[in-house]
Amino acid sequence: MRVHRPESVGEVLALLAEHGDDAKLFAGGTAMMILLRSRLLAVQQLVCLDRVGELRSIDAAADAVHIGATATLREIADSPIVRERLPLLAGTASLVANHRVRAVATMGGNLAEADYASDPPPVLIGYGARARLRSLRGERTVAVADLITSFYETCILPDELLVDVEVPVAPPGVGAVYLKYTTRSVEDRPCVGVAAFAGATTAGTRVVVGAVAARPVALDIDERDPDALGSAYADAISPISDLRGSAAYRRRAVKALVARAVRRAETGETAAVRV
Amino acid sequence: MSTTTSTATGVREPVTLNVNGRSWTTSAGPRATLLEVLRRELRLFGAREGCGVGMCGACTVLADGLPVSSCLLPALLASDRAIVTVEGLAAPDGGLHPVQQAFVDHNAFQCSYCTPGFVLMTAGLLDEDPDASDEHIREQLSGNLCRCGCYREIVAAAITARDRLEA
Repeated sequence: MRVHRPESVGEVLALLAEHGDDAKLFAGGTAMMILLRSRLLAVQQLVCLDRVGELRSIDAAADAVHIGATATLREIADSPIVRERLPLLAGTASLVANHRVRAVATMGGNLAEADYASDPPPVLIGYGARARLRSLRGERTVAVADLITSFYETCILPDELLVDVEVPVAPPGVGAVYLKYTTRSVEDRPCVGVAAFAGATTAGTRVVVGAVAARPVALDIDERDPDALGSAYADAISPISDLRGSAAYRRRAVKALVARAVRRAETGETAAVRV
Repeated sequence: MSTTTSTATGVREPVTLNVNGRSWTTSAGPRATLLEVLRRELRLFGAREGCGVGMCGACTVLADGLPVSSCLLPALLASDRAIVTVEGLAAPDGGLHPVQQAFVDHNAFQCSYCTPGFVLMTAGLLDEDPDASDEHIREQLSGNLCRCGCYREIVAAAITARDRLEA
């Protein structure tokens, strides 16, 4: 394994273009080190992003915030820009894992790993966030909802770098709630995560459910009643069984948590809460 | 300028680490964690391996002042950062750090395997936020495990350390 430490995006893209699928990107390392050390991942060219300063910025745009790929979850949780303009994302970032993981784990790494049991993706999808992917061939943007395609799978091509995530600012007055339901310990990944954005769709509240299937689930249904929404999600998903909860358990949890998240969001509350 | 560390399998390259204010040149393979280098080469045994996946906190070190899991940090990537282990907390004359003294005063351990991690999590927090609330202290320590179950004493020690540092 060769270890590369490029210092600019251009150098990263050149390495990816040269080595293709043999190259793997390394940011915070909280996922990659586990994969590498357990030999689940064989890497010929390890491209470390720690010296690429331009990927780490968090910038405010007119109606959005651009979060650099290597901004850490801690930086997102503490950023005055994110706290003011995307309070639900700041709160959600502060619920991930523990302080040590948040100090190094990154926004881009979180999305590129595409772990099904992860807090930020359903919240980013609820905001309507888009990921910017760049290669030497050019640049494209992909909705985070489409970025994650399956368990630990994304549509990012081998020569592409996730540069940043553009997160639209929710209109003022929109209540936004994320409920992180854990079944084992406080720092665990979610058994179920529900993001609810009141007034975000013409039908009423936008709901995105994470950690129950291969990718976050958002239904396109015309339903306003919180309990009916809960039932609709419980019926529509094919929940997984894992050590955090069986499929049957998850179905019941989804029904209750969707209704609860919708009710809270519709009061205008904005909060990320561990339940 | 791009830095490429050429590391064919089995070949080790020198890495310069800044640990506890001293510069150490060591050799580490590309998969070596900082934890392995600290223990095997630098013979600093305060950081311990527990879970190996960043969840237990036994391997906590400070990197540029922030508590991180040394089991997940490649030694190669630690070279840009100032690392402090529990061995680096005491004063040069051997006087204990206020957090260490508070842990002694509260008997905040039984087997002590987890203690360096808890001490560094507390020291890192109080360095950044000397007025941290009790709630903030509990939250900061929530990602560390003590299998002897000394949590009550540990939190009390951390609160005492804050009160003494504030005074």
